[in-house]
Amino acid sequence: MMGPLIPNEILTPEIGLVFALVAGLLFGFFLERAGFGSARKLTAIFYFQDFALLRVMFTAVVVGAVGLLLLGAAGQIDLGMLAIPGTYLWPQALGGLLIGLGFVIGGY
Amino acid sequence: MDQQNPSTEKSLYWSPYLAGVAIGLTLVLTYYVMGHGLGASGAYTQLSARMLQIEAPVHAEANAYLRSYLHLGSLFQSWIVIEMFGVLLGGFLGALTARRFRFQIERGPRIGGEDRLIFALVGGGVVGFGSRLAQGCTSGQALSGGAVLAVGSWLFTVAFFLGGYMFAWFARRAWQ
Repeated sequence: MMGPLIPNEILTPEIGLVFALVAGLLFGFFLERAGFGSARKLTAIFYFQDFALLRVMFTAVVVGAVGLLLLGAAGQIDLGMLAIPGTYLWPQALGGLLIGLGFVIGGY
Repeated sequence: MDQQNPSTEKSLYWSPYLAGVAIGLTLVLTYYVMGHGLGASGAYTQLSARMLQIEAPVHAEANAYLRSYLHLGSLFQSWIVIEMFGVLLGGFLGALTARRFRFQIERGPRIGGEDRLIFALVGGGVVGFGSRLAQGCTSGQALSGGAVLAVGSWLFTVAFFLGGYMFAWFARRAWQ
């Protein structure tokens, strides 16, 4: 089956809403098992104490990137149909900075 | 529990590489099925738009940005709202089955519970505002956008860590 399944109309948007729950369950479960449930463990990154969650995040990004690339190379997904976040330099730079600030205050 | 150094609790959690692979595969699956990645902050925008619609419907519908969140019949026809509901449930099940579920206000040894909650409220507000500016948070931009090598998402990620390291010293009372 050629992905992405819903944009390609292989699955209906209604099934997509059911999948949302499945994807969320997996995401939430793995995040918790990694330690993202702990604000102290998260903020420990910024006090140079515990980089485990940094490793989790960048491992996930690399696995995601390589996984999509392989699926694309195998002809299983049309990478051109994926929603790529747009580029808005100043909003993304300022937004990222603010989220960094809010993150060390609030913990998440 | 060690109050000083969270890293001593490391063994309670999965290996970072195992957890990273699991999250990465979840992300690939989501792109394969949906054509987009995972998110978080969008669910709160959806919820805020709905709350404003109840309180001030004319204003909410006159606002082009908020209107774009109001076209769905109900809140639960929104993909990201259902996904976030799954995240809450998945996190809850993860904590429960790892036997670490408990009611607490997690904080450093030098801050009271009330102050910690004020920090949480202020920090949450700043994160909320920043995530609308950037059109996403650490999930939608850093993770999902990062994996499809979006230029703006990587800029976001660099700015996020820069902000965290720049301002961590000022918030140290909450954690250290």
